[in-house]
Amino acid sequence: MTRLVCPFCGPRHLREFEFHKTLPAPGAGEFASVYERVDSLELSVEHWQHVGGCRGWLLVRRNPSTGAVLDCRLVGGGGAA
Amino acid sequence: MSGPQPRYSAWSLLRARLSGDGYWRPLWGGRPLRDAYDVVVVGAGGHGLATAFHLARDHGVARVAVLEKRLVGYGNVGRNTTIVRSNYLLPENHYFYEDSLRRWETLSRDLNYNVMYSPRGVVDLALSDDDLSGMARRGNAMRLAGIDCELLDLAALERFCPELEPRRTRRFPIVGALVQRRGGTVRHDAVAWGYARAASALGVDIIEDCEVTGLRTAGGVATGVETTRGYVRAERVVFATAGHTGMVGTMLGIPLPIETHLLQAMVSEPIKPLLHTVLVYVFPGHGETYICQSDRGGLVMGGHLDGFPSYTREGRWDRLEEVVEGAIELFPQIGGVRILRQWAGTNDMTMDGSPIIDRLGYDNVFVNAGWCYGGFKAIPASGAACAALVATGTAPDLIRAFRLSRFASGHLLDERGGGPFPVRL
Ligand SMILES: Cc1cc2nc3c(=O)[nH]c(=O)nc-3n(C[C@H](O)[C@H](O)[C@H](O)COP(=O)(O)OP(=O)(O)OC[C@H]3O[C@@H](n4cnc5c(N)ncnc54)[C@H](O)[C@@H]3O)c2cc1C
Ligand SMILES: [Zn+2]
Repeated sequence: MTRLVCPFCGPRHLREFEFHKTLPAPGAGEFASVYERVDSLELSVEHWQHVGGCRGWLLVRRNPSTGAVLDCRLVGGGGAA
Repeated sequence: MSGPQPRYSAWSLLRARLSGDGYWRPLWGGRPLRDAYDVVVVGAGGHGLATAFHLARDHGVARVAVLEKRLVGYGNVGRNTTIVRSNYLLPENHYFYEDSLRRWETLSRDLNYNVMYSPRGVVDLALSDDDLSGMARRGNAMRLAGIDCELLDLAALERFCPELEPRRTRRFPIVGALVQRRGGTVRHDAVAWGYARAASALGVDIIEDCEVTGLRTAGGVATGVETTRGYVRAERVVFATAGHTGMVGTMLGIPLPIETHLLQAMVSEPIKPLLHTVLVYVFPGHGETYICQSDRGGLVMGGHLDGFPSYTREGRWDRLEEVVEGAIELFPQIGGVRILRQWAGTNDMTMDGSPIIDRLGYDNVFVNAGWCYGGFKAIPASGAACAALVATGTAPDLIRAFRLSRFASGHLLDERGGGPFPVRL
């Protein structure tokens, strides 16, 4: 994994992006949202920010065993891809 | 069959030399997997092997197995940059790591195996007055606890590490340092092999190529583990799975305060003696480089985490570049030296950066993990304390703060003061 495709800026090198956190399971309470993580070999759902570009917040779905990016969207929807 | 282990000494090695191959025996293994144990330890990394060793030696637990999905030493115990130290700010951390450092000092004798503890010093370099006052604070906390460390001004740093030429013009000038002289390095593979050999000699079954795939429970207690070699009954189970502990949580249905991140390291081709100590160089807004020279002459280097969850064990290239940049900033003369190897390991990053040694979900299931990128140095203390917890049911004072419930109760051990974000700098 060396690139992410930002819905606004297109394919950009990974160093332009900053990983924020993996998301808790849907419906998790406050404690879990802050401290607990969902660990999976197949799917990691994460928040990133395009700090070196549009500065948009991104919802990224990746396979952490292969590095494949399954999906990269703007948090809350919107954007092109 | 590994058979009885000879006792290593200068005399016995000389005899071995003269008697040819007959002297050497496999260091561990050779016994088949049995169907029931008093304690099953999952993971033959440093922490699993040390826990098994202390269960057998200190607590007389007769039937102990260590189940390893790959090979002894395949995980982080064989991938780290071998640095040991106890220069932590928080009391819960520095007392624990100091206990470990004292054990490193005598480990070769305790295991009858040369782990090559080398107290060459660990030097944190200060690049600003801010850095220096942070280091003074940490150093004072350590000295109050009776742990050795010294704050060095430029002249003292020059005396301690002349090869660094601290006064040379640099983009980020060095203004001082914090040194812990008893810190240094330990040969990482020897630690895995030494513990495996000593544990095996005490009757511990070390089973490689045996992955634990599930936990069987009945009436709220664990009864055994499912493995790729069949079901194994166990009175108690200890997960010492380091970078796969997040997955263990998923397997047990217990979400953990752990994210899995890569850390990489690299070693250069061997060169003549250049650096006699360990340097830690954090350069503002850019990154981090820690560097030491192995006995073979290679420069061993590492830096920050890669920065996002991964199980690939492939380090990102721009991180390698950043680490090397830092090294060249310190020693411009190594600019032409080639990197020989680069590798990465999966790290069990907790939400406060400190470990977890506690029960996990069941009264007879334990976890020894959350070692982040700094758990190699903890192995001797963690093995002894975790074995005490598993054998007696009560956590020794030394690890009471490492309980899992601290995240819910607010008693975090956030050495970095960074909040629940393992990669935020
Ligand atoms: C590049 C790098 C540099 C580092 N540098 C330092 C350093 O300088 N100083 C320091 O103190 N620390 C350092 N660390 C951290 C340190 O190496 C680790 O914190 C420590 O080794 C982890 O504990 P361990 O030895 O028990 O882990 P490991 O050796 O990873 O052991 C865990 C074992 O569990 C096995 N396992 C996992 N799941 C299962 C399962 N389901 N069934 C059976 N077996 C399983 C794995 O295969 C593995 O062998 C570094 C780490 C890395 C990656
Ligand atoms: Zn963008």
